[in-house]
Amino acid sequence: MTNTNSLLEITNLKKYYGLTKAVDDVSFNIENEEIVTIIGRSGAGKSTIMRCINRLVMNNGGSIKVDGIEIGNDISKKQLLEARCKIGFIFQHFNLVYRLTVFQNVMHGVLGRISTFDGIIGRYPEDDKEKAYEILKSIGLEDQIYKRAGELSGGQKQRVAIARALMQEPKLLLCDEPIASLDPITSRTIMDLIVDQAKQRGIACLINLHQVEFAKEYSTRIIGMREGKLVFDDTPINLTNDKINEIYGSTDDIDELNPEYELAAVSGGAVAVGY
Amino acid sequence: MATDNKVSQGTGIDEPSNHERHTTNLLDRIKNKHRSTMNSQHNNILVPEEVKKLKKLYNIIIVIVLLAFILATIQTNFNPVIIFAKGGNFIDFVVNDLTPPNFKGVLGLGDALLQTIAMSMISTFFGGIIAFCLCFFASYQTAPHPSTVKIVRGFASMQRNIPNTIWLFIFRMTFGIGTTIGMVALLFNTTGRLTRMFAEVVDEVGKESMEALDSVGAGYLKKLFQCVIPASIPGFVSWLLYSAEINIRAAGVVGALGGGGIGLILSSYLSVFRYKTAFGIILIMAATTILVSLVTDYLRKKVLV
Ligand SMILES: Nc1ncnc2c1ncn2[C@@H]1O[C@H](COP(=O)(O)OP(=O)(O)OP(=O)(O)O)[C@@H](O)[C@H]1O
Ligand SMILES: [Mg+2]
Repeated sequence: MTNTNSLLEITNLKKYYGLTKAVDDVSFNIENEEIVTIIGRSGAGKSTIMRCINRLVMNNGGSIKVDGIEIGNDISKKQLLEARCKIGFIFQHFNLVYRLTVFQNVMHGVLGRISTFDGIIGRYPEDDKEKAYEILKSIGLEDQIYKRAGELSGGQKQRVAIARALMQEPKLLLCDEPIASLDPITSRTIMDLIVDQAKQRGIACLINLHQVEFAKEYSTRIIGMREGKLVFDDTPINLTNDKINEIYGSTDDIDELNPEYELAAVSGGAVAVGY
Repeated sequence: MATDNKVSQGTGIDEPSNHERHTTNLLDRIKNKHRSTMNSQHNNILVPEEVKKLKKLYNIIIVIVLLAFILATIQTNFNPVIIFAKGGNFIDFVVNDLTPPNFKGVLGLGDALLQTIAMSMISTFFGGIIAFCLCFFASYQTAPHPSTVKIVRGFASMQRNIPNTIWLFIFRMTFGIGTTIGMVALLFNTTGRLTRMFAEVVDEVGKESMEALDSVGAGYLKKLFQCVIPASIPGFVSWLLYSAEINIRAAGVVGALGGGGIGLILSSYLSVFRYKTAFGIILIMAATTILVSLVTDYLRKKVLV
């Protein structure tokens, strides 16, 4: 674990929201070409870790290194933008600009690399445009290029988001519940797409998932989180039922019919962690 | 959001995840309850929703005005019966003095009408441009510093909450009558109103898409032009058209009080009791107003697809 050449190095990461320890002293590394999934209950801190990595959220302690660059409090604005360029991010809710076309959304992937003026007027290098077209073709969206992103189905939207992330030519791809808003069949297509593309392009992936079966099937390594702590970090084969119970807690921890559970979930998910 | 709900309730792979999704949906639903009603990103029904809200507001205003009228009637011992008793006078006035409307012999009527239309359109246009530049400082989502939000909003509220007519009186005292002060009075009001409304449109831009542009390493200006502005355009256009409609109406009143244009001509005919001609001018003003609202309605439908 002390390999200094790791693509991503997370050491003693801490993130608190008031009294909530969203991420509590978590350390792990990710090497090139690894496909790692994080599983854990709602509120375990999975999204928070991801957001700390590209600093959409600032951590309270510990260190994060991506490709040798320390993403910490004293990173300059320019360095941060450059680092983010190297990190693709796929969101649960696709996060596209729905008024713009599929193509325009995909081209957003290169915004980090072009000049501010070009970015403002949306002028992109020709070879990037060709590349965008290639990517759209390879993920089966070449017929939708000039459609507005808002007019697509959920699965198509997520494919556009994947194309946007691929345009970044990232070294690391973070996927925060990429299939949680999709039906089971589309989910499988999207997972296949993410993993295939990542393998083809030599991109390492860190994926938050709720489906343990998918995690076992697709990843080279699984990380289990519980109440902000890392409780499992091993290959899928070693994720036994006992371990799964340890990560998720036994099912009678929560009373599904208890209305308070829902209320708490609405007000921030504290009970879902199992307080 | 709507699709999320549908999809995730229909799937049931394993218990914890399904349950989880249900709760996230609940969360999302509550969070987005407000947003989904007029989110310009996800649907384009912003206009009808806004219009509905306005209609509701007007209904409330009508009720309040009626109540105030009844109270005032009691307070001032005003006797509504007088209206009926002297109603003959009114009918007499309408039949003999007001009708038939006279459209002839008004000097410079066409020019004055054009001036009024120009006054309202120019003030809408420039008000829109100024508001466009200011609104990003007035929304917490895009403000470079939180303090600019309060400053710009305060400035806009001041402009907006002082009516056109008051602005006109202020300018008339300083500069005398004419279309310039009429236009500036309209411009002040429009800028204030549009800055507030545009800022609200920007507030409604999905945080999600802005986050996505953060994640690709786009800086502030790129984010503004590639995400915030495209997502806000329908809202901006809709408020701009609404403003054009309001201003064509206001231009008449402002004109009559010294702001020039057809309003000023109307007031001069009224002051010398030439009611038939005045009535003709009123009809022309009404026709213009209706025409402008027809055009803006048409544009709204065309532009906001
Ligand atoms: N912006 C925030 N403000 C306050 N608390 C937050 C915030 N974001 C997350 N939290 C809290 O941090 C904890 C971890 O949240 P996080 O979103 O990382 O969980 P998660 O594992 O991704 O859950 P889910 O599976 O529901 O997405 C939760 O207790 C949550 O309430
Ligand atoms: Mg999450």
